[in-house]
Amino acid sequence: MIKIPIRVLIVDDEKDFVEMLSLRLKEVGEKVTTAYSGKKCLEILEKKDVDVVILDIKMPGMDGIETLREIKKRFPLIEVIMLTGHGTTETAVEGMKLGAFDYLLKPADFKDLMTKLEGARKRKDDQEERIRRAEAKFLMRKSGDI
Amino acid sequence: MIMQEMRLLLVDDEEDFRQTIARRLIKRGLLPEEASTGEECLSILEKKPMDVVVLDVKMPGMNGIEVLHHIKTKFPRTEVILLTGHATTQDGVEGIKSGAFDYLSKPIELEHLFRKIKQAHEKVCREEEKIRDAEFREKMEQQMIATERLASLGTLAAGIAHEINNPLAIINESVGWMNLLLKREEAADIPFRCDLKRALDKIEKSIVRARKITHQLLGFVGKDDFALTEVSLAELVDEALLLVSREAMNKEIEIVRDIDASLQTIWSDPYRLRQVLVNILTNAVHATGPEGRVRIIVEDMDQEVLLKVRDTGEGIPKENLDKIFEPFFTTKNPGQGTGLGLYVSRGIIERLGGRIDVKSELGNGTTFCVRLPKKNRTDEVQTQIGRDDLMDKINKYQ
Repeated sequence: MIKIPIRVLIVDDEKDFVEMLSLRLKEVGEKVTTAYSGKKCLEILEKKDVDVVILDIKMPGMDGIETLREIKKRFPLIEVIMLTGHGTTETAVEGMKLGAFDYLLKPADFKDLMTKLEGARKRKDDQEERIRRAEAKFLMRKSGDI
Repeated sequence: MIMQEMRLLLVDDEEDFRQTIARRLIKRGLLPEEASTGEECLSILEKKPMDVVVLDVKMPGMNGIEVLHHIKTKFPRTEVILLTGHATTQDGVEGIKSGAFDYLSKPIELEHLFRKIKQAHEKVCREEEKIRDAEFREKMEQQMIATERLASLGTLAAGIAHEINNPLAIINESVGWMNLLLKREEAADIPFRCDLKRALDKIEKSIVRARKITHQLLGFVGKDDFALTEVSLAELVDEALLLVSREAMNKEIEIVRDIDASLQTIWSDPYRLRQVLVNILTNAVHATGPEGRVRIIVEDMDQEVLLKVRDTGEGIPKENLDKIFEPFFTTKNPGQGTGLGLYVSRGIIERLGGRIDVKSELGNGTTFCVRLPKKNRTDEVQTQIGRDDLMDKINKYQ
């Protein structure tokens, strides 16, 4: 089976972490972009196709929750996995309510991360597929085929 | 205090006089005991503490003033009323200086004596109350200090745990990346490849260990995380037992489950509670030798539920008993226990409005007792109330 790379955007102000995680994800065949702030993350999403954002909750400036809100508003199909070194899972729960796919506690287990990445990508694919079908139906109805 | 509970002793060598007074006091609801000499009075006091002693000054043998001195040094809480002859008012004054409550001149008016006895008794009660209050206050203050210390320790520990998670994550990803590099074909022939791999494995294992600690610490501080719902304690116990059953089976430990069948659901946080149960049961299984027994008992009390876990292990030495709830205290080998299980458990139970205690005797096993309220308000309100109550009490007695 040919692996279709997941287009991942890692957003975290910890540069060393971003660097190492992106090397690792690239090594297993994903397509990785990185950003060190929420603002930069949104700029990248404007220009680039991304499947899943791995988003740190605690960042200076625009924090993870704000960024997540903005992503869900402007790019509702993009899935987000939240990363947190924060103890209280309440922020993670808040994130889930805002539409994040899942969350991981730092330091995250790589296998966990991979499972969640796959899951997030699958949900995005499914959703896109549904939208395509709905649009097709809509078009057909418009042209009077049904 | 009821008058009949007053412990009163009449001391006088004049038998008729003493008995008459005793009879008349009994009519008024008192139950006096009698002694005919100072020596007898002191020997009675040795056996049985008295609240009030009515003491004649002029007696053969040891006189009243001497007896008073003895009473005041040996039984300072006992109040003494002196009875003096008309001619010896001086004795009475001297007696007051030595700590007598008051003195009456013979012949005495019974109503007067009765009133004095009542007053002396009230003073005794007041003093006792004061002592009890002081003891209570000291206990409360100690408890407050301990609670505050643990709370600030918790905040600090959580802060550190949180800050450590980031570097830990970097180390984790770096190791993962190095491992991936070693798997590449080009790396097949590099020198010391096996050694490198082994060292990386050790780093990885240590990260897992450190993560366990930081996550456990953070799990304790999680604030609004408590999700209160109806919980079946019996089911929860079964789930927890399932998780420890394999280890128990390996050690051939018998697990006895003794749950009050009448117990309905309680209002609590099932996940936290299960965490506590697993913690305590794991400890019990670890502490118990092969072919020992772990017994879990759940009793339905009136307002609360009492859960006991009793093991047949070797027990906890006295000097450790105070420390087992402290963070990072463990007797296990490094890597086997974080020393956080009981600390976290106690935090959880207290925030659920309950209490956790331990009883242990060397060679005789250990029992953990968890008391939980059946109904639980949200924990924030609960701790707030607890603290305000404490503060109130402390202020009141200051």
